[in-house]
Amino acid sequence: MSWIPFKIGQPKKQIVSKTVERDFEREYGKLQQLEEQTKRLQKDMKKSTDADLAMSKSAVKISQDLLSNPLCEQDQDFLHMVTALDTAMKRMDAFNQEKVNQIQKTVIEPLKKFSSVFPSLNMAVKRREQALQDYGRLQAKVEKYEEKEKTGPVLAKLHQAREELRPVREDFEAKNKQLLDEMPRFYGSRLDYFQPSFESLIRAQVIYYSEMHKIFGDLTQQLDQPGHSDEQRERENETKLSELRALSIVADD
Amino acid sequence: MEPREAAGKETMGSKKKNLSFLRSRLYMLERRKTDTVVDSSVSGDHSGSLRRSQSDRTEYNQKLQEKMTPQAECSSAETPTPEDEQQVGRMMAKRAKIIRELIQTERDYLTDLELCLREVVQPLRSKQIDRLDVEGLFSNIESVHQISAKLLSLLEEATTDVEPAMQVIGEVFLQIKGPLEDIYKIYCYHHDEAHSVLESYEKEEELKQHLSHCIQSLKNIYMQEGKPNLLDMGSLMIKPIQRVMKYPLLLCELRNSTPPSHPDYRALGEAFTAVKDINVNINELKRRKDLVLKYKKNEEEESLKDKLSKLNIHSISKKSKRVTNHLKILTRGESQVKDNTFNREEKLFRSLEKTVRLCVKNISSCLQHIEEATPFTLQSGAELREISSQDGEKNGTEPQDQVSKPYQDFAARSQRLILNPLSALLSLFPGPQKLIQKRYDKLLDYNSSLPRSAATESDLAKREYEALNAQLVEELQAFNQAAKTILLNCLCSFVTLLRDLMQVALQAYSTVKTVPLPVLGISEIQNRVLEEVHNLTFVKENSATFIERKLSFEKKKPAQVLPEVPHQTDAHRSKLLSTYGAEELYRAKRKCNATQEHDINLLEGELVAVLEQKDPLGSTSRWFVDTGCAKGYVYSSFLKPYNPGKGQKVDADNRFCDDDFENISLFVSCRPAGDRVSISDSSSSLSGSCGKFETNGADADHFQEVDEQIFYAVHAFQARSDHELSLQEYQRVHILRFCDLSGNKEWWLAEAQGQKGYVPANYLGKMTYA
Repeated sequence: MSWIPFKIGQPKKQIVSKTVERDFEREYGKLQQLEEQTKRLQKDMKKSTDADLAMSKSAVKISQDLLSNPLCEQDQDFLHMVTALDTAMKRMDAFNQEKVNQIQKTVIEPLKKFSSVFPSLNMAVKRREQALQDYGRLQAKVEKYEEKEKTGPVLAKLHQAREELRPVREDFEAKNKQLLDEMPRFYGSRLDYFQPSFESLIRAQVIYYSEMHKIFGDLTQQLDQPGHSDEQRERENETKLSELRALSIVADD
Repeated sequence: MEPREAAGKETMGSKKKNLSFLRSRLYMLERRKTDTVVDSSVSGDHSGSLRRSQSDRTEYNQKLQEKMTPQAECSSAETPTPEDEQQVGRMMAKRAKIIRELIQTERDYLTDLELCLREVVQPLRSKQIDRLDVEGLFSNIESVHQISAKLLSLLEEATTDVEPAMQVIGEVFLQIKGPLEDIYKIYCYHHDEAHSVLESYEKEEELKQHLSHCIQSLKNIYMQEGKPNLLDMGSLMIKPIQRVMKYPLLLCELRNSTPPSHPDYRALGEAFTAVKDINVNINELKRRKDLVLKYKKNEEEESLKDKLSKLNIHSISKKSKRVTNHLKILTRGESQVKDNTFNREEKLFRSLEKTVRLCVKNISSCLQHIEEATPFTLQSGAELREISSQDGEKNGTEPQDQVSKPYQDFAARSQRLILNPLSALLSLFPGPQKLIQKRYDKLLDYNSSLPRSAATESDLAKREYEALNAQLVEELQAFNQAAKTILLNCLCSFVTLLRDLMQVALQAYSTVKTVPLPVLGISEIQNRVLEEVHNLTFVKENSATFIERKLSFEKKKPAQVLPEVPHQTDAHRSKLLSTYGAEELYRAKRKCNATQEHDINLLEGELVAVLEQKDPLGSTSRWFVDTGCAKGYVYSSFLKPYNPGKGQKVDADNRFCDDDFENISLFVSCRPAGDRVSISDSSSSLSGSCGKFETNGADADHFQEVDEQIFYAVHAFQARSDHELSLQEYQRVHILRFCDLSGNKEWWLAEAQGQKGYVPANYLGKMTYA
């Protein structure tokens, strides 16, 4: 039915005022945007948590490989250092996991739940659309009959048409009003809904980073050579490297 | 001779002081020799030298030589013959000449070095040209200059104011040989590279300009002094090497022209050996280096052709021997030649290599992950904030801006401090590895040659192996130390960097204002909000589960499961009956659901009055009916004429059998037609039972219907709630519906005494009228 040309365009403009339509579009548009945002956010959060987990796993791998190295057997100091590093990395992994879980619980799942409302909204809008179309159709019919000359059968048909029209129009009006009324409320509810999520996300990050900072701060204290600045280290590395390069057994590029 | 000797002895005393120490030294030196002849000649020498010091040197020299000749000839004659003297004289003259030459050349050499430093090295260094590596060209030329100066001063000290017969040049060299060796070793070691570097510079126009500029200024100076022109930079650079190679020659010549009786003779011999050793060491170092260079050439770079060209009988046999030996070692165990130090170092080396390799891999992957994770975290944080705040509202500073820049710092720092050094270190490993492999091959060769102990072959193998081994041991140690330091450094840097990054992130996130956690947990708040949302009608109506249940043909408002669907009540029925005539009344044969617009639902048995026997579209299958509470369309096939007189077919178990029905009809017919009032008599007699009938039972026809829904309570039933109806035993009740709202057939909606309520079905029994 939708391909019938006269259906497109006309009925809408006549029966529903432009302002109403515009309002509706605006509200619905906002909600559509919100839907987009939530979808994208869901994806991004998932990617972010996955990346976090991957990171801590690879960090643990560093220390694991170091630990399993025969170098540890030969040198006690080295062994101590690597063990400390390993502990730190494992703790980082644990905290990271916890953080991810927290985020999962307070952000990602609520996001999903919120998103699940959107299909209903879309369905409702579709129904309203359908109702609108019916309304338009019947309205056109009524008008058609009205334009004809008022003979008996025509009058009867007109009456019939009017009768048909009435419930449909009422239905549409009801739907329209309902949606116009409820869409802003839905849109507004997001503030209350997501504010706690956001705060929980921030809180989780803060806790995680403060823990990490402490862990790594302790680790740097524990390891040899505390307090070397970057330049000092770099210079030391350079001197050692040039020392190595000076050795005849080393291939020079 | 004798008078002179005596005279010498007399005048000895005056010069005693000067030469006493020298004499004692000489005496000591001479003592070591087991030549008794020397002793006597010493005294002779002294007298001779004493005498000579007072007079012309040349005369003295001659005489000394005469005296020396008997020693040179090793004859027991104490009195040198004139020929001996002559020879000694000649030798001494030659010796003096050589010494002069030595000193002069050293002086010249020193001057050259000074000039080189002043005119070439320092200007080049001060110019600080990028690609010109002054250190690479000239390495430790300053040290060379210093040592040369020292040598010169020592030589001068040894020769000025010293009798030629007392001049001990050998000592000087012996004194200086240590530092000499070290310094020249370094210079020579670097000279090869310097030469090739120079060649590469010569190819570049700009650098060539610089160099030739310096050379030019140098040439000018030489021109002024009238000295021979030096050719170019290369010849300048090679001077120290030439010099150090000259020493043995000079010393050899000097020794040859020194009469054995001269105190210097032995010293010279030792000095000569020492200097020769220096040269040998320098050569050895060079050889080791060459050996290493030869073997560390990357074999992959060799093309197949090169490899094939290297194949010959010799190499094939060599390789096959090695393989055999390797297998021998594998099967029989220990090789004969072992070096524990080496093995230890090698093990350390290998484990370091593995560590560094893994570290590079892991750290870079970790850093990569951090790099990937950071933007996502920031982005999602920003998006969430966007959603959760009013448009335009900013709740504290963005964590995004604060973190992204420091993160880049982190990335740069990590690259500089960790990855670069480690990768560089990693690239240094293959070289030594190849050499270790080569050493192993040499070891095999040596092993195989040991049993046979063919002199030359074993010697060669042994030398090569030992050269390589020594080199490797020494340098592997240094390598391992340095590598470990670098590794530790990098690990520390890594940890520090992580700490800093965490700190930055912490600060960034802390700046975002957060409300303290409210009393209700997050989930509660959110659930509350979500509930509110779900209460919105459009959600309720359109939630997924609901949609599934409905078939979406209807365009009306979706039918909700209302507790009360307007059904036809008795009141409606009575109205119908009163309004319409019998021929218009129909009964629904079965339950019909509304399917099209304006249809109505009918329950089975409901009474309808047909208003029109067609629908707006003109079809006669749909009739417009009135149910008393609603008007609408039903399909005519659902309807049958309402005919109270006929026995109607029953299909439910809630109908009476025909017998009873007939009885009732008989009974009922006597009741007045208009009587509609329900008589709420509770007597259980049959007659009384009529009074219980409900209001819609006035019409006889209708009465039948009513009859069929009359039951009586077999037992008394006490209502427990508003919805239920109390019954007394044998109370007659009229059943309106044979199930409750949820379709439960255990509870029936009954009417009695004007009250409605649910009664349990098993309490009821059918009315049978006997």
